[in-house]
Amino acid sequence: MNGTTTVSLVGVGGQGILLGAAVLAETAMAAGLDVKASDVKGMAQRGGSVLSTVRFGRHVYSPVARHADVVFATELLEGLRGLDLLVPRGTLVCATTRILPGGVLRGEEAYPDELAAAAAARGARLMLLDAETLAREAGNARAANIVLLGAASLVLPFSPDAWDHGLGAAVPAKILDVNRRAFALGRDAGARQEVDP
Amino acid sequence: MRSHCAARAMAWSSPCRRAPPLIGYTLCPVERALFLSGNEAIARGAQRAGVRFVCGYPGTPSTEIVETAASLEGVHAEWCVNEKVALETAVGASLAGVRSLVAMKHVGLNVAADPFMTLSLTGVNAGVVLVSADDPGMHSSQNEQDNRAFAKFAKIPMLEPADSQEAYDFVAEAFALSEEFDTPVMLRTTTRLSHGRGRALPRVPVPAPELPYERDIAKYVMVPQNARRRNRLVLERLQKLRRRAEESPLNVLEAGTVDFGIIASGVAYQYAREAFPKAWYLKLGLSHPLPYEKVARLYQSVARVAVVEELDPFIEEQVRALGLPVMGKEVIPADGELDPETVFRALEPFLARRPPRRRRPVTPSAPRLATPPEVPAGLPVRPPVLCPGCAHRSVYAALQRHSLAPLGDIGCYTLGALPPLRALDSCLCMGASIGMMSGFNQALRRKAAAAVIGDSTFFHSGVTPLIDAVYNQSEGLVLVLDNRTTAMTGHQGHPGTGLRPDRSQGPAVDVQRLCEGIGVRCATVDATDHKALDAAIRAEAETPGLGVVVALAPCVLMVRERAGRVVVDEERCNRCGLCLDVGCPALAPGEVAMTLTDACTGCGLCVEVCRRGALTLEPAESRGA
Repeated sequence: MNGTTTVSLVGVGGQGILLGAAVLAETAMAAGLDVKASDVKGMAQRGGSVLSTVRFGRHVYSPVARHADVVFATELLEGLRGLDLLVPRGTLVCATTRILPGGVLRGEEAYPDELAAAAAARGARLMLLDAETLAREAGNARAANIVLLGAASLVLPFSPDAWDHGLGAAVPAKILDVNRRAFALGRDAGARQEVDP
Repeated sequence: MRSHCAARAMAWSSPCRRAPPLIGYTLCPVERALFLSGNEAIARGAQRAGVRFVCGYPGTPSTEIVETAASLEGVHAEWCVNEKVALETAVGASLAGVRSLVAMKHVGLNVAADPFMTLSLTGVNAGVVLVSADDPGMHSSQNEQDNRAFAKFAKIPMLEPADSQEAYDFVAEAFALSEEFDTPVMLRTTTRLSHGRGRALPRVPVPAPELPYERDIAKYVMVPQNARRRNRLVLERLQKLRRRAEESPLNVLEAGTVDFGIIASGVAYQYAREAFPKAWYLKLGLSHPLPYEKVARLYQSVARVAVVEELDPFIEEQVRALGLPVMGKEVIPADGELDPETVFRALEPFLARRPPRRRRPVTPSAPRLATPPEVPAGLPVRPPVLCPGCAHRSVYAALQRHSLAPLGDIGCYTLGALPPLRALDSCLCMGASIGMMSGFNQALRRKAAAAVIGDSTFFHSGVTPLIDAVYNQSEGLVLVLDNRTTAMTGHQGHPGTGLRPDRSQGPAVDVQRLCEGIGVRCATVDATDHKALDAAIRAEAETPGLGVVVALAPCVLMVRERAGRVVVDEERCNRCGLCLDVGCPALAPGEVAMTLTDACTGCGLCVEVCRRGALTLEPAESRGA
């Protein structure tokens, strides 16, 4: 709305949603934009659904928005839930990781399987990545969040320099190298999807 | 003085088409009128209403309510350590099925505000009535806050008696409202009502309904997903209460003979009535929520209307919000007490003026609500869960072997209320568990409930109710889940750890020694030792009196070394799912057998529930070797 871009980051508590949001916010600031971000933490941290929102533009007023231009999901079911947050023809960048919620574990509910169809039905652009495998390749499975950010960087208006600056500002020094590799692998994987969807 | 008289109101205009009758207005045939203070009348009114639990903290002008109640047959009365604990204790007694009344002075409600605000959401089992005794003029107080704002703030009904007879009668009305609308009710008095004395005719007793305790996690455990639904019900309840206020004979329209009407409640009504005997009146007994239509009807009869109220323009602002011209605080003092002469001098010039132009009231429509009434069906929900290896899970497993209602508190362990554990029956506010347990057990006169409270919450506000339980000789089992941190918010320090925000080390308070110091039996056990934990909880559950078990195990997120790892024997596992009831997110059904993710810490709780011996714990040492 009003020249402001909204990115929503969704996932399961413990997957590094807050760090992903911090990198994105630092990147947007490095690009000279106004940024506002909003995290929901506290109770949601313990394995529940987590949502972070980052908004950037020339001047950002509201820290939250009902709909996002890009949704970034570190888990498949949360990605499907995140489709509701997406503007028409927005982009969903989603990991293939599955974390079964309690109701599914106990056989009370079924884990849904229709992400691609649901995204197509909404006219959303879908980038689906095996982020965990790529992160392991980069050196740590926990860097899956940054793999996804690498893929998302293809649809966000920031230079490689700005991203690098963002990573350096938000990621602790001792895991920065792993995360730089994860970012690059994610960006490459995303680019391959773009030519061959 | 006169009590509210439905017949007189009817003579002027029927205020209600289907007014619920006032409760039990048959006079007691043998007793004559008593000469009672408002406070004595409230206590006797409580006894008449079948109230069996009365508590509070002394504070002028409320003190005599509990003192009088203590002298009445069939009523158990307690002084509590403070007003917060008093309210929580009353809520516990209500859960157990006993009508409960809690009394405090106005500033006491500041102390009790935490349970008070959320009690509006949970509602009650048996009725809960909170008496707030305000002190306009500060005869014996540090401020003169107008607690009517608290009723509006909490969105609960408020009754304001105007004399001793009403003080007596309104208690039964308040309990009926509390149970019908599933809400705490505020009975608001002021010094002149509480300490003023007058005639009061006893009435026939009203039997309290049988309301045995039924666990209802969605109603009593205020984690966000439950609280959102309850909050919606609160907003809907307020609309229903406003309709009741329109119909209620407690809100009386009284005809006059001059072109002047007065809206008033409580003792201010008596001042106005004496000053202007010929005026028309809207006397509000159920003064919150305000009955808009009755206000409008007064304006149909008279051109000039004034609100006579002590302290804040509580009613006046609501009348102005309807777009109606009204005389109020520009002439009636906004501080101190009123009296008939002050009211007369303030309003007399107003009568000589030309009446304002008549206007139609603009009543606000019901607010729109964002939360849907039911959880929308669709994708599987993902509520937060206890972490793999969390020791709280072991405590719940041990506690569930006993038939004690587990009353909870606020922290990670509140997640134990969610499926599949469903191991916690209540969560009202910080530190509420122990007071609620105390009231619950006092009401049933046996050890029927246990309190579950974390270490940080214990220091926040769990110590005072424990002192209270010692003083009042309550039965109970208190489980302090000591994970050596404030875990839910992200591992902050607290007095039990001595850790400061800059991670420097300060002195630490020992829970065990603190408990012993106040005279409570206390045992500390390693919560990762499931047998010892079970034995300690069993010992306390089966021993009369009050006892504390400190279940000690550092938060699993702070522990680097793992105890080991559980392995699955795929031959023996038949995927029966018994281990899934432990609620550990590291366990999941695989293709042929259960599987364990890397998140497994080797706590071994699932091993204990497996009946086929399919799960075994591989200690950490043997894996490396």
